[in-house]
Parts: sequence; C-alpha cells; structure tokens
Amino acid sequence: MGQRDVDNFERIVLPHLDDAYTLARYLVRDEHDAQDAVQDAVLRALRHFDGYRDGDARAWLLAIVRNCCLTWQRRQQTDRAVSPLVDDLTHVRDPRETDARAIERSERAAIERAVAALPTEFREVIVLREVQELSYREISDIVGVPIGTVMSRLSRGRKRLVELLGDGAREAS
Amino acid sequence: MRCTDCREVLGPYVDGELLLNEQQEVREHITGCAECAREHEELVSAISTIKEELVRHNAPDVLKARIRSSLAAVDVDRKQVTPKHTRISWPRLAAAGIAIAVISSGLTLAATRSHTGNQSAERAVLDSHIRSLMPGHLTDVASTNQHNVKPWFNGRLDLSPPVPGLDSSGFVLTGGRLDYVDKRAVAVVVYMRRQHVINVYSWPARGNSDEMPHETTENGYHLVRWRTGGLELWAVSDLNLSELEGFVAAFNAASGSTPSR
Repeated sequence: MGQRDVDNFERIVLPHLDDAYTLARYLVRDEHDAQDAVQDAVLRALRHFDGYRDGDARAWLLAIVRNCCLTWQRRQQTDRAVSPLVDDLTHVRDPRETDARAIERSERAAIERAVAALPTEFREVIVLREVQELSYREISDIVGVPIGTVMSRLSRGRKRLVELLGDGAREAS
Repeated sequence: MRCTDCREVLGPYVDGELLLNEQQEVREHITGCAECAREHEELVSAISTIKEELVRHNAPDVLKARIRSSLAAVDVDRKQVTPKHTRISWPRLAAAGIAIAVISSGLTLAATRSHTGNQSAERAVLDSHIRSLMPGHLTDVASTNQHNVKPWFNGRLDLSPPVPGLDSSGFVLTGGRLDYVDKRAVAVVVYMRRQHVINVYSWPARGNSDEMPHETTENGYHLVRWRTGGLELWAVSDLNLSELEGFVAAFNAASGSTPSR
C-alpha cells in the first residue's frame, strides 16, 4: 500500500467518522470503548482497503465498525483494565438550564435508556435505520441476515421501544 | 387487502421499502379502514419520535487525532520496511570517508557521542508518542485537574513531574501515564490542543546544567527537548512547530522554571 492509497483512504473513509462513532456509541454503550472500537475499525478498514471497490464507503465502514464493536464487547466482558478518575464537576447540572431544556433532556435520556436496554440484534437495526437512515438492503448486508429478518427485527425493536418508553412514562408519573 | 396483511407491512410501507403496487394497495386499505389507519398513525409518530430523539454523536477530537496519528504511523512503518533507494556514488563515499578521518578529533567525537545519545532518546520518545495514540494507551490517569494528575505519580516514580494547568493558554490537561523510554521509567503528562495530543516526557537529567529548548522534526512529528531543574523534558506532537514552541514556553512559565544557559 502506497502513500496514495493512504491518501485515498483518508479522503473516502474518514468523512464517515461521525457516523462510525455514533454507531459504536450505541453498540458498546461506553464513550471510551466506542473510541477504541472505532480506531480498531478504521485500522482494520485500512488493511482491507484493497477489497473496497467503489460503492457506498459509509455502509462499508459501518459494517466493519459493527463487527469490531461486537468483538470488542465480547472481549470487554472478560477484562476491564484501568478505571479512570472522574472529575467531580462533570455531572453537575447547569443551574442556568431552563425547565424546557431540562424536560427535553430527560425525554432524550429516556429514549437513550430505552435503546440501551434493547437486545443488540434489535438495537443495531434500529440505529442503522433511524439514525443512519440506511435501506433494508444495506442493513441486511451489514448485519448479515436476510431482508425479511431486518424487517421483523425492526418492527419488533420499534414495538419494544414504544413499550419501554410507555413504562418509563408510567413510572415517572 | 386484509387487515392482518396490512399490519404486517406497515413498517416497510412507512419506510418506503415496498414495491410500488404494494405501496398502492396499503394506501388504499388505510384510507378505507379506521383501525389500520390508527395503527399507521401510531407507527408514524413512534418512528418520528425515535428519529428525533436519538442522538447523533460527533467523533471526539481525541479520536480523530488518534486515528490521524495511527495512519501517520502506518506511513512511518512503511518507510522503515521499504527504504528509499538512494544511489551513492563511490567517489563521493570515498571523499566522505577521507573527510571523516581528517576531522575526527576528541572534541567532535564527544559531540557525536552525546548527539547519538539524544538520537536514541528521540527515537524512543517518538515511538512512545505514536504508541500512546493507539487505543487505550494515552493515559493511565485521565483527568483535566492538575491536583489529580500530579499526586498520581507519587510513589510510582522517583520524580515529581511538573503538571502546570495551561487552560488559559489553550492547552487542556488530559491526564498522565507511566511509560518506559530508553531503558527507564518516565513520567508522561498529556495535553490536548484542538485535536492534537501533546505528550510531555520527563526523567532525571544526567548532570545539572539547564539546556534551552531544541527542536527536531521527524516523520511529521515535532519534538522539543530541554533541561531544567534537574529534569530532562521532551514535548512531542503533530501540532505545528510554532504552537508547540508556544506550548513549551507556557509550560515552563507556568511551572516556574525557565531554563537558562
């Protein structure tokens, strides 16, 4: 691989880093693990860049990210190394925040929690569809299941989310 | 179309994934069936809530910096594996040999020796910098608070590295780690400027004399080396050289030790 390949790689693949990171955040559910998984994925993508033929670079990268996240998660379950010190002030609520914003934030938190609670096979199709706005065909390629399965997982995932949100709302009132 | 069939394909209908004629059938069915129309309505609103509320994250700067650096490291590796073909002509080589023989004196030999010492440290520091950008290697203690980072080194090393807070100069403290460079354990304090990582290495200097900052550039990384207060310090980054020099100046000013000749 020459300098030109690395340049090409940077031009074609790196613009999709935000999407890659978003998917990783939803799949591994931890900021630091997501960063590690994305970096892993990008290096893996570079190694297999020969195999990439013009097509949708985003879907191609997301497929690699997804596989890295699943591997990463399996590995993380067995070992957890350094636990970082967290500065005390990072989670204090800003007193200037308005109530409307606080409510908006809590709604967002509710749906984030609900998505996090979904089993991985539902969570990934939900994120690939609702956040990344991929077609059923692209999702089927990335996840490696037939389109019919994508369809039914998506539909069950959405139902579960609506139920979870309903439960959350009932608990809150 | 029966209601059960309609319910089954409502998702793909809303997602626009049905064939044109199927799409048409569903549309006709829901205009005539209140039950299915309500079901459709609920699904549309659920999907729009999910779409709106799910967060799109931006890849953090530190991640971009790590990726950029590891791509640069790929370049570095390649350069090591496939050295450029440089043609050396025999007459020039012979001339160089004679020149070396003529100039070699005790003084230049000593200078060369200390220079190669720095070169091996430079190589080791640069390798460590690149390694630190790989997943999970940047910091052992992650904190933007100097009062967390500085005490963390206590008992882990026989030196107390300077950990100035440099937020006001635009350099954000990110954490610290232990590293092993050139056959010794060293302290590394990590700062960020935009998406660029700056690693500051320190270890006890041999000899007491201070030395002014001296810059070198290798594979797109800048290294600044200086000595002060009995410590040898190196700052490494892919930040542009003038900003890195600014960093070293701010670092020394804030730790109250400006090296003097």
